[in-house]
Amino acid sequence: MTTITSTQRSEVGSTGPAGPRKRARRSGDGVAGYLFLSPWIIGILLLTLGPMVTSLYLSFTDYDLFDSPEWVGLDNYQRMFEDARWLKSVRVTALYVVLSVPVKLACALAVAMLLNNERRGRAFYRAAFYGPSLIGASVSLAIVWKAMFSDDAVIDRLLRAIGVNTGGWAGNPDFSLLMLVLLAAWQLGAPMVIFLAGLKQVPRELYEAAEVDGAGPWRRFRSVTLPMISPVIFFNLLLETINAFQVFTSAYIVGGPNGQPAGTTLFYTIYLFDRGFGDYRMGYASAMAWMLLAGVGLVTLVLFRTARGWVYYSGDKR
Amino acid sequence: MQFLKRFITVAAVASLALASAGCGDDGGDSAGSGPVTLRYSWWGNADRAALMQKAIDLFQTKNPNIKITPSFQEYEAYWQKMATETAGNNAPDVFQMDFSYLREYADRNALYDLKKQEGDALKLDDLLEGLKGAGEVKGGLYGVPVGGNTWGYMYNPAAFAQAGVPEPKPGWTWNDYRTTVAKITQATKGKVYGGGNYVGSYYNLELQLRQEGGLLYTEDGKLGFDKARLAKFFSEGKALADAKAVLPIEKSVQIKPQHALELDLIAGEIGWDNFMARYAASTKAQLKLGPVPSDNPNSSGQYLKPAMLLSVSKKTKHAEAAAKLISFMINDPEVGKIFGANRGLPATNAQRAAVQLEGPLATVAAYEEGLKEQLTKAPPAPPKGAGTLEQAFIRIAEELQYGRISVDEAVNQFFTEVEETLES
Repeated sequence: MTTITSTQRSEVGSTGPAGPRKRARRSGDGVAGYLFLSPWIIGILLLTLGPMVTSLYLSFTDYDLFDSPEWVGLDNYQRMFEDARWLKSVRVTALYVVLSVPVKLACALAVAMLLNNERRGRAFYRAAFYGPSLIGASVSLAIVWKAMFSDDAVIDRLLRAIGVNTGGWAGNPDFSLLMLVLLAAWQLGAPMVIFLAGLKQVPRELYEAAEVDGAGPWRRFRSVTLPMISPVIFFNLLLETINAFQVFTSAYIVGGPNGQPAGTTLFYTIYLFDRGFGDYRMGYASAMAWMLLAGVGLVTLVLFRTARGWVYYSGDKR
Repeated sequence: MQFLKRFITVAAVASLALASAGCGDDGGDSAGSGPVTLRYSWWGNADRAALMQKAIDLFQTKNPNIKITPSFQEYEAYWQKMATETAGNNAPDVFQMDFSYLREYADRNALYDLKKQEGDALKLDDLLEGLKGAGEVKGGLYGVPVGGNTWGYMYNPAAFAQAGVPEPKPGWTWNDYRTTVAKITQATKGKVYGGGNYVGSYYNLELQLRQEGGLLYTEDGKLGFDKARLAKFFSEGKALADAKAVLPIEKSVQIKPQHALELDLIAGEIGWDNFMARYAASTKAQLKLGPVPSDNPNSSGQYLKPAMLLSVSKKTKHAEAAAKLISFMINDPEVGKIFGANRGLPATNAQRAAVQLEGPLATVAAYEEGLKEQLTKAPPAPPKGAGTLEQAFIRIAEELQYGRISVDEAVNQFFTEVEETLES
């Protein structure tokens, strides 16, 4: 959230008075600017770019952490497509993304719309719904989640009370992934807050005009709210998709390095981690990381392409 | 709203970049303050860390010139960290080693040959007979065991009595074992299962192989069994699971990291006897140790396995001090008293004598004493990749128990792993 506001602020600054702009063009001030940027530049060179280049190199090698890396060309990339567990991890991850992102976004939007109304204790409800996201990546949360979904635990009892007998989900290969999808949906705080901000931007006149024209609540939602917040939906969709591809902590707690039960929670990141740090196949793991980058990049690109059809920016002339 | 469009693009690219940067772990250097500072790492939990600190304090009092910087992790995280630190030339001076990783590290030149210190700083004369030379790889000594344990049958006699099934006697066969387990499950209507599915443990396969005169891995690091043999083992496990005679896999996955014996869900289990202490701490049942099933009346296949070896990094600058620390940890009677059962039964006679034997520990000691004549030679240190193969075995056996793969698929999957792992 802070990124949005700071970007907005800088955007406002640059369109402001021309004075500071002129000065920045003088060469001496350029150096000072880079000096101010240097902590960030050094950080990105050492902590992001350096490891990225190294991992790109390692992805073309056979590297077991002990002996020096041995160049094998595209071997690692080729092997992936013959690796049954890799294919499985891709399937599990894709299924998770396809399930968890829409569910989470729908829940976040629904809650945001509820909280957008003027009513007493609004601040409390917002905090309450945002809460789970604050402890989102925490290990303890995943442990509690697993315990809740075990045999004869809360969820099992509730379901049995209404006549559904599934047993514990944590040990059941048919339900383990669903359990993680629900965990993701529960942590809807971040997209919810962004949705809230988006809903506040929708001009009231539009609703009033629609009401005058006799539009009911559903119609107003479909024809006013959705198009007006479509940039925000798109933004949330992108971020949540990218995040969902990288789910790790909760899955590792629930399923461990083997993706228990029966490999149904073998996410891409889990398999990557296990290959690298469990089996000491760092070259293969690096290649997997770059395939993930390529895959997520491709999905993002496709999303951007489709966005032209359904995202409406109020400044655009069409 | 044009900026929003641009902002979304930037944000998306930034998250992508974060994705590929991955995560790193830096070990952190220890600052030397005394004349010699040793870094010492082990796996374990907070309980063990408290005991370890006591032992380290004692060592530092007796050797004021050596300062120890300890660190510990859980078992899995420990090996991830060790691999990273070794790769970064930043391995601790002294670190705990498992038998299944010994050759992996020794073959890769990561370990110091302790033969150079033997006799002077490192005294090994008092080691139990079965543990002497246990840390040797190709003539070099790369690890010294802190303890030793044996594969045994742990069971709850009360559960047997309740089900009206007689307790196991020496000479019982694997078939006896399977019918006993099924009977208990049936008699209690699944309230208490006869046991877990033994197909889930690699060491049960090793036990069967040793009883037949075979080995899990041969001396030169090859696999000691073929597809047909593994298929037989997997079929036994599948039959048990299909008949619902054993604890269902759903259950044992859910209760992790606890064990079914701790929760009184099963009547007995074949496993390392040093786990008795852990199980006994959680259950009210009076657990006993019994004979393991064997189809060979002349061999139970059991051996004294070196547990928790101590190794020294090749890169250490203080080999002598490191050897002194190891010698102290395995020989000093006080250390034996401090740890009690925590590390399994001690590896030296002096420490065994010093440990006050009571409760489960006394049971284990008596058990191992009774087996003394029966124990055969420990296998050669497993080849590198053995740790990975054991993980693969556990994973594949689990899918088999879930009924997700057939016996043939399970066998083929395992042998694919073997080809991939043992060739390199």
